[in-house]
Amino acid sequence: MSEALASPVAAGRRRRRASRLAYYLLLQGLIAALCVLALRQSLPQPPAQYRLTDFGMSEAGAEHAVTLPLFTASHYPPDASPRFTAQFVRPATEAGRLWSVFLPRFTNAVEISVNGVVIHDSRRDPAANRPDRNTPQIADIPSPLLRDGVNDLAIRLFVWGPIPGFLDRVWVGPDEMLRPYYDLRTTLFVTLPVVFSAWQVILAVILGIMWVMRRHEPAYGVLAAAMAMGFLQAFLQTPMGETPLSRLNVVLISSAPLESALVLTFAMLLAGLQWQRWWLLFFVPGIVLALGSLIGGPPVSRALFPILAIPMVGLSLLIMAIVSAHSALRQHNVASFLLGCAVTIMLTCWIVDLLSVFQIVPNRIFTSRLSYSAMLVAIGAGLTWRFARALNQVDGFAGRLVTQVREAEEKLKASFAREEERARAAALGRERARLMRDLHDGLGGQLVSIVALSERGSDSAGIGDAARAALKDLRLVIDSMDDIGGDLMLALGSWRERAMAQLRPHGIALDWQIATAQGLPVHPELRPWHVIQIVRILDEALTNAAKHAQARRITVRIETMAVDDGTGRGCITVADDGKGFELAADGGGSAGSKAARGLRNMQNRAARCGIELGLSSAASGTCVKLQLPHRFPDSDAATT
Amino acid sequence: MTTSSGQTAATSILLVEDDAPTSWRLQDALGKAGYQVRAAGTLGEARAALAESAPKVLLTDLQLPDGHGVDLIRETRARFPETEIMVISILGDEESVISAITVGATGYLLKDAFPTDIAATVRDLVAGHSPISASIARFIVRRTQSSVEPPPGPPLNTAKLTPREIDILWGIAKGFSYAEIAGHLGLSKQTVPGHIKSIYRKLEVHTRGEAVFEAVQQGLIKL
Repeated sequence: MSEALASPVAAGRRRRRASRLAYYLLLQGLIAALCVLALRQSLPQPPAQYRLTDFGMSEAGAEHAVTLPLFTASHYPPDASPRFTAQFVRPATEAGRLWSVFLPRFTNAVEISVNGVVIHDSRRDPAANRPDRNTPQIADIPSPLLRDGVNDLAIRLFVWGPIPGFLDRVWVGPDEMLRPYYDLRTTLFVTLPVVFSAWQVILAVILGIMWVMRRHEPAYGVLAAAMAMGFLQAFLQTPMGETPLSRLNVVLISSAPLESALVLTFAMLLAGLQWQRWWLLFFVPGIVLALGSLIGGPPVSRALFPILAIPMVGLSLLIMAIVSAHSALRQHNVASFLLGCAVTIMLTCWIVDLLSVFQIVPNRIFTSRLSYSAMLVAIGAGLTWRFARALNQVDGFAGRLVTQVREAEEKLKASFAREEERARAAALGRERARLMRDLHDGLGGQLVSIVALSERGSDSAGIGDAARAALKDLRLVIDSMDDIGGDLMLALGSWRERAMAQLRPHGIALDWQIATAQGLPVHPELRPWHVIQIVRILDEALTNAAKHAQARRITVRIETMAVDDGTGRGCITVADDGKGFELAADGGGSAGSKAARGLRNMQNRAARCGIELGLSSAASGTCVKLQLPHRFPDSDAATT
Repeated sequence: MTTSSGQTAATSILLVEDDAPTSWRLQDALGKAGYQVRAAGTLGEARAALAESAPKVLLTDLQLPDGHGVDLIRETRARFPETEIMVISILGDEESVISAITVGATGYLLKDAFPTDIAATVRDLVAGHSPISASIARFIVRRTQSSVEPPPGPPLNTAKLTPREIDILWGIAKGFSYAEIAGHLGLSKQTVPGHIKSIYRKLEVHTRGEAVFEAVQQGLIKL
């Protein structure tokens, strides 16, 4: 069932893809047609009355009449260059005006003579020597040379390949009539490439920096290299002749295949393909050409150029067209789509140039180099724009991130506040539980005992004692809630007052001794419940001494015992001069179960706080010794 | 009214306490010690008694049926500067005692104190010894320590206390006797009660003008 469903879907997809391909090809065809139409538009020409087309051509000793424009062989030795001669008429009325010879297009170089005197040699102009440039030449004719009436014009055409020589029509006339046309061509074919080269070098720097900062995007680096190479080949020009640099000049001829390999690599990377090692093959023709030119010199370079460089450029353009079309159609890659359109333009220009090289069209204006430069500039600008847009997106993303982080922070703050509130509530609950336990231990029991005593209707002294104890305990609980900052001495200060008030009616003296200067060490971990337990132990010891031992003097000694590790350990001793305990170690005895229970209570409380309780009793008195722990336990061992 | 006899006949006490058994108990204790005690159960009765004659000592509860003891202390302090004032408190907690101290009281008496202690405390007070308990001393010295948040409890201005007075309060808070404190601080034992009296006076906010001055001093009011 799924197959039955899937196949129509697949068929539909295939149909859609085919129709998209058809549209794409149609568009490219339209672009190519527009391109051809534009290229067919010939550049404006000076008035026909100054045009010379009929020349006599002397070549290898023979002379024959030719009509310009004319293609020649692709190579002549310098001393056997063909010579074109013609005559022109300078009317006597024009004697006061400057006349010029205008050569719009030639390959590779010309030497112009008027009336047997050489007035111009284009070989001294490096830009004019390049066959891929459409450099025009204009030569002012010194007025003494000119005669009224018929004058002789001779043009020697130097051809050194690699393509056939060419000489377009020649104009001889007033300089003011010809120069605007020369200027137009100079602007188009000399200045514009320089402008493009300047853009290229700027973009090469920008893209190079981008690549250095973003090594994982090699497309930028490859394009920067292509631009740098284009810039080098445009500006590194040397005059003709054997100079040390002329060898390098020859190498530059390999720039075309190398550049095309670089741009091809860029196009494939842009299409989303991963770099493969076999892509290095693209660079082989350029490298072979460069090495051949370096070793073999100009002749080898001329021989290799047509078979290596020109096909490589065409092949690159073809692959680029296919890759771009694939990427544009399959991945809807807009960049690849635009590149594909540009490649179509370049491919058209390249084919037209090729037709010109093979003399199929009678035109020698090469446009592929110009269109390539324009395309590179467009791509570079586009990439820079894309980069800037990406930066803007990053900014936007950063802004969003800031907002999100702030929101998250606020949420976190809110949840933290909730958590804090919960923790506070929990702490309050724990505190309440502790308070309840403490009140239950002391106050509750005493109040119940008051109720019981008052119901029996006797022993008002007992009621008074129990009520007093209840009040004392209430004060203890409230006092223990106060933050004493871990200083047990502050709690003991209050206890001393209460103890003295308690002992005074019995006529018992309380001897308070603080043996060490600061009393007890400070315990930051000290909690109210520790204080309560300690004070209750001390109360119990005091009560035992006062009630059961019939002591006359009670000594409380507070000191800090030095321990090996340098810290101190607090110690509180309650000693009395009473009759001591009569009970045995087993807990039973004649002193009564009440005292025994009191002792057990003291032991329990001490254990809960980590206090070592030492009890010793003799006929001369009882001594209760509390050795405080290094650190009071966090949780109550008795309740957990 | 309890008539008195003996050498302390001149010492008159006005006792303001609304709980009758407590009032009886205190009257008994003080009367047996020879003081001349007048008792009042409400703020109104106390004012009427004050209108008759100024007592040497005023003992007052804070929660009264028709008002607050703090008002009574303030009025008495203003009208009869010679009268010694003490608060009667169940717990001796700082909440009630400190608020009484700031209007002019110099100490407190626990309601369940033993009769001998009650009489002894009043005797000391008349002799010029203002008693101060460890827990109240602790509360005051804790206020002298700077803290970011306003501490809980009644407002208290400790700015005027000298370091020596604060040392004395620390000693009391830690349970040292006057003799021990004097020994530690290099004082004579007899001067300690004077220092304590001075502490009480410094904690008292006398007039409205002074209250404003102190508020400015403490940065509570910006001029």
